[in-house]
Order: sequence, then structure tokens, then C-alpha cells
Amino acid sequence: MTIQRTVAVLAAALSIMATMALAPVADLVAAQKERIRGYAAKPLERPHLSFVSNGVADFWTIAKAGSLAAGKELGCEVTVVFPGAGLSDQKRMLEDLVIRGIDGVSVSPIDPKNQTEVLDQIAEHALLITNDSDAPASPRLCYIGMDNYLAGRQCGELARKALPEGGEVAIFIGRLEQDNAKRRWQGFVDGLLGRSVDAERRDDHTKPFHEAGYTIVGTWTDSFDRAKAKANIEDVMTRHPNLALVTGLFEYNSVLAVEVFRQAGRAGKIKIAAFDEGAEVLVGIREGIVLGTVVQDPYGYGYESIKVLHALTQGKLDAIPEGGIMNIPARTITKDDVDAFWSDLKAKLAAGSSAR
Amino acid sequence: MRKHWGLLGLFLLVCMVTALCGTNFLTAYNLMNLVQRTALFSILALGVGIVIGTGGIDLSLGSVVCLVGIAVPWLLIEHGWSPWAVVPIVMAGSAFIGLAHGLLITRLRLQPFLVTLCGLLLYRGIARWMTGDQSQGFQGGFAELREIAVGRIPLPGLDTFRLPATAIPLIALAVVVALVLSRTIWGRWLLATGSNEAAARYSGIPTGRIITGAYVACSLLAGLGGMLFIFDVGSAQPSDFGNFYELYAIAAAVLGGCSLRGGSVSVVGIVLGTATLQVLRNSIILLGLGSQLEFAVIGAVLLAGVAADELVRRWHGARLERRSAL
Repeated sequence: MTIQRTVAVLAAALSIMATMALAPVADLVAAQKERIRGYAAKPLERPHLSFVSNGVADFWTIAKAGSLAAGKELGCEVTVVFPGAGLSDQKRMLEDLVIRGIDGVSVSPIDPKNQTEVLDQIAEHALLITNDSDAPASPRLCYIGMDNYLAGRQCGELARKALPEGGEVAIFIGRLEQDNAKRRWQGFVDGLLGRSVDAERRDDHTKPFHEAGYTIVGTWTDSFDRAKAKANIEDVMTRHPNLALVTGLFEYNSVLAVEVFRQAGRAGKIKIAAFDEGAEVLVGIREGIVLGTVVQDPYGYGYESIKVLHALTQGKLDAIPEGGIMNIPARTITKDDVDAFWSDLKAKLAAGSSAR
Repeated sequence: MRKHWGLLGLFLLVCMVTALCGTNFLTAYNLMNLVQRTALFSILALGVGIVIGTGGIDLSLGSVVCLVGIAVPWLLIEHGWSPWAVVPIVMAGSAFIGLAHGLLITRLRLQPFLVTLCGLLLYRGIARWMTGDQSQGFQGGFAELREIAVGRIPLPGLDTFRLPATAIPLIALAVVVALVLSRTIWGRWLLATGSNEAAARYSGIPTGRIITGAYVACSLLAGLGGMLFIFDVGSAQPSDFGNFYELYAIAAAVLGGCSLRGGSVSVVGIVLGTATLQVLRNSIILLGLGSQLEFAVIGAVLLAGVAADELVRRWHGARLERRSAL
């Protein structure tokens, strides 16, 4: 590295540190909008945009395919990064993007409440939007994704329909720190219990509770350790022999529920309301041992993120959706449409892996 | 066995508390699950126990589990290879990894900690790169092959309890490792190397070959464990599969009486240590404790167990001394 480059990197790092004493959120939003107005006079030629996931999963590979497709279509450079080691890894990657001089970032923040500094830093130096999981208190210009509360409700309603008389229900989820997980969890509970729509409601997930004939025996997290996630399902089955239904609110939780019930000879006896498009879940839906699954549109998250960021770098302020939220609704896939959905998914996955 | 009274007591205590205060601990289904998990993790712990016996350490074990666990469905499903090719290839690959570790440590004189730490990063990175970060699974296929791990073997006189198939390789490996360590010259040389490598070398023991052999055995067992884990779980994501398994394995081995200074390996202790860890994890759910408490409970109980074990040993040692003085 030449001395000039070293000095430039150090200067960028120092300027980031200097912005640690940051302006209020409203000021940061206003500053970004001012920058966009500036782009109207002088649009960025081949802007450098980034899509940042909250982890590593097939879901994100599909989102990557969408981002890269939009980048190719619109003539911008797109960098997609997948933090593999949680919050600190995501923070490091975001800081590195700022140092590289990124023009716009779409991020799925892992823990928005505790990531204010790094999100503010991005907004100070680039355009910030969120995808998949929102950070409403951050200076993000908009959120692109589904409403996780409503998607959770869809899953809860699927469960309620299959279990109209009530019964014991267990919930499995990778982790509950992030906003989308919390909202999805609450949505599932409200949908299952037939409650009114209230995305601000917060039940205590650490305790079992009984309501309207349903007993939620508990919620178990596993920090993405699949062997642990599998053991959780086995142990909960042991502790609660009358379990009527389980839901896996992250992709692999549902996949493992199918595995465990198959191995224990309980497939079809304990119902599964699933989330996302794990292959085993889709096979399970086809065989009738999974009620259905609520799926998102990660390709759309990636594609729309880059499209919005690109429009902003061309000075188009009206690319920010009304209310700051672009809703890409979730779908419920059941036995009727599982085959068509699967063919489409395979094509998108292939596009995602060939784009790496 | 005498030196494991403390650990055995801890194991029985955790079992008793969970059986008395928890729900359905002694059901056949739960016991089968516990045997299965103990077998899977014990295979990893046996491997790392052998390396610890030479005074070394293997931090790459979890990443080898990941690489093998990802490679098996990747080759079978994505590339359509035959299991007859895949199984020998991944096992040979695991042995090669161990050989590379051993040679780097003995010939290039690199620190085992450093070599295997680099391995930890390298193998996970390779797994992520070769799959493009996509999770790999059997997609409902290869059910017969997966029976190696998920199969249950009926036992005469027992209706509901069937022995998990993974117990068979564990028993076979435990017997072989115990016999090699206690009855063969190679086992003696391994422990002598671990106790004092320089002294062993000056006594004519081929310490380089012994240490290299230990790393090959460890990686082979990690590869076998990885294969059994993926057969058991069915799918894996390269970024998190096998994360921290090296720490569970090392904890079980040390809890089971393997000294991190080398020169001491106990097969019974390793299996007992692993079983204690697995029962503890099981007890968190069966006792209805919040899963948030899991690490705190495991940490506290293990610390208490290790302290109790040490006190029992000292008391026993002092009693022997008093006797010999008389």
C-alpha cells in the first residue's frame, strides 16, 4: 500500500471516528435528502451500492441474485456482503464499506437499537435504507421488505386453522434479538390466538402462557447451532408429550422439525406451521406433513433495494416510498401451489449461485 | 475408573435431579436422544483427547466437522456422486488435513494452537466458498445411508428403547483407543511424548511420527463425526455448522481427566464428560429452566463438578499417603 493510500484510509477512518459525536436522526435524514437534491443536478455515474444481509443463508443468496440483476440492469457497481459471525461482523463490514466510499447501503440490521452508531455513520457518509428487518429509529430513508408482524400472523392463522380446538404449541426460532424476529414472533402468537391486529403488542416470550384454549409451552432459541436446534425440538417433545403443533420461525427451525418428527415416527401427528422455503419443508408440504409455509420474496428485497438506491443517486427523491416503507408482502404456500413455487425458487437459487 | 468418581457422581447427580424434578427424563425416547448426542460428541472428544494426550490441541475440529458435513450432501446431491466414492474421499480428506497439521507442527515446528487456529478459519472458508454459502441437505434422499446415524437397533428384552446406531462406532472406537493407549507400545509412546517430549525423543521414541499420527487420528475422528452429524441433522449451513464444537469436545476431554499439559488420556472419562455435558443441556429444557440460563447453568455445574473432583482426588491422595506412612 502506498503512503498516500495509507494516509487516505487513515483520514477516512479518522473522519468516521469524528462523526461518532453524531447529529440527531432528523438532521441525518435531512442531510441525506440534501445530498439527493444535489444528485439531481449532478447524478452519480455508475454509483457504488451495497446490499448487506444479517447472516448467511439460502434466503440471502436469492436476495444477492436480485441485487446483482438490478445492478446489471441499471449500470451500477453492487457489492453484496454476508456477515457470517453476527453483530460484530456486520458492524465491521459496514464500517469497511464506508471506508471504501460506498454511495448507498441497504442493510438488514441485526440489532438496530444497539447499532445506532454504525447506522448513523453510514447515513453521514452514504445513503442508508434497510431491508428485511427495519430500524425505524435510525436515519434510514426507507425500509424494503415485508411487515414481519403480518407475516407472523399469516403463520399463526395457518396454525389456528389447523388447530381450531386449541392445544399445546411450541415455537422455535434462531434468535430473538432482531426486530424482524420479535415482530414475527408476536405476529404468530396474535394470529394463533385470534387476537386483533396490533403490531405494538409485546408478550413475554420467556414464559409459557395459556389463552383462548391454546397453551404456548415456550419459545426456544439456538443461536444458529443446528444440532442444538434439533435437540431443542426433541427435548420439548419429551417434556410436552401432548404437543399438538410446532412452528419454526426461521427457515432451518421448520426443516429440523420435519426431520425430528420423521425420525421419531411422529410426522403428521404433530402439526408444523413453517416459515421460509427449506427443501425439506416443501417436500413435507407436498407429502401433507407440513400445513404450509409463509415465504418472503428475498429476490424482490435485493432487486428493489438497488433500484431505490440507484434512483436516489440520480436525484429522484420520490423514489422513497410513501411512509418510508415499501411492503413486499409474504405469501402462504400450501399443497395447492407448492410445485409451482418450487420451480420458480430453483431458478432464482441457480441465478444466485451463478452470480457469485 | 477410580479417578472418575467425582465426575461419575456429578453425572449421576444431574441425572437424578432431572429425573426427579423434570418431566419424562427416563423415557425411552429421551434416553435414545441422549445416547445419540453423547455418541456424536464423544467421537469428536476422543479425537481431541488423543491430541491433548500428546500435549497438543486441535482448534480446527469444528471446521473439519463443517467441511465434511457440507461436502457429503454437496457431493451426493449437487454433484450426484456415489456414496461409495464420497465416504472414502471425505475420510481421506480428513486424514490429509490431520497429516498436514502434524507435519506443520513436527517438521516446521509451528505451534499447534496456531496451526489448528488457521485450520479453523481455512476449512470453514473453503466450505463457504465451495457452496456459495448455500445450505446443503439430503432433501429427503439417501434415507438408507443416513441410517448409519439415525438408525435405531432393537435390543433383546427392551421394547421401546432401541440403541442409536451411532453408539456402535463410538463403542468400537472407544475400545480401540483404550486398547491402543493401554496395551500397545504406540500408546505408551504417545503418553510418554505428552508427558515430556524431549525426554521421550532422547529415549528413542519417534515423537514426530507419534504426534503426526495423533493429529491424523483427531482429524479422521472429526471427519467421521462430521459425517455422522450431517446424517443425523439432515442439512447444514456452511457458516454455522459445527461452530464451537471444538470447545465442547475439549471441555468434555478435560472434564474427563485429560490433562492439557499432556501425558494423560482417559477414554472412560471422555465419554463420561461428554455424557455429563449432554445431560446438562437436556436438563435445561426438561426442568423448564429458561434457555437463556443454559450457558450459566452448564458453566456453574461444571465448575462445581471439577472443583469437587479435585477435592476428592486430594482427599484420596492424602489418605493413601497416610496409609503408606503407617
